[in-house]
Amino acid sequence: MAAKLWNWRLWAGFGLSIAALAGYVFWVNETRAVFWPALLLFAVAAVLLLSGLKRRSRDPELYRGKVAGYVLTSLSVLILGLFGFVAYQVSRVFPDAKNAPQIGQRAPEFSLADANGNNVTLAQLLSTPIANSGSATRATKGLLVVFYRGYW
Amino acid sequence: MACAFELRGIQRNLAALEAAGVKAVAISADTNDESRELCRKANLTFPLLSDRNAQVIRSYDLLVPNGGEDNRDISGIAEFLLDSSGTVRWRHFGETKAERLVEEAKKL
Repeated sequence: MAAKLWNWRLWAGFGLSIAALAGYVFWVNETRAVFWPALLLFAVAAVLLLSGLKRRSRDPELYRGKVAGYVLTSLSVLILGLFGFVAYQVSRVFPDAKNAPQIGQRAPEFSLADANGNNVTLAQLLSTPIANSGSATRATKGLLVVFYRGYW
Repeated sequence: MACAFELRGIQRNLAALEAAGVKAVAISADTNDESRELCRKANLTFPLLSDRNAQVIRSYDLLVPNGGEDNRDISGIAEFLLDSSGTVRWRHFGETKAERLVEEAKKL
């Protein structure tokens, strides 16, 4: 009997699920929109895995992948579960930020009290020079605005 | 003090940021008292602004409802680099290394 054929769909599906999770984790800080492409990759992976399993069960004489099929499919389901968990955590910790100011847009003005109760505005931060510890001052070229979760 | 790591990193790199002509300011939903405590503990010399009712955090669309202790509404983590006209030139969501912020500041 000839050597059985390699059931590549199983491996491609498994590889795609890994790529989907890795890509999501890698890009989620840059753009939250990466969730949907990742989900799409998982869908394609599921189609590949299922068709690989089906092919194998239809022609067990023709294709390899009896054990690999179940192992890879189970692992992919685990990876999908991990993706769901990470995405849930991200949604809890990170805001949607769909309407956050984009690059090229003007940042919304603010007027807030600092730790000593003095009011600080964005316009004022941008227009006053940087006060160094010495007497030298430097013109303000830019402002870094950091939002943080808070002291809790 | 989950986030103080990032603020401490910015403090360590404040001289490099200022050398690039960039000031730093940090905003959260903390009270003034909490900010003062954090400034003191972490030796922060840049201003921490208190957005108690999360109005500014909302205007930047960064609100995480019930995300904090006691289900407090808090801010998500984000960094914006503005040029002198107040236009966003770079932004990032989630924590980032202060070294990267310095790198981006130098490009302004």
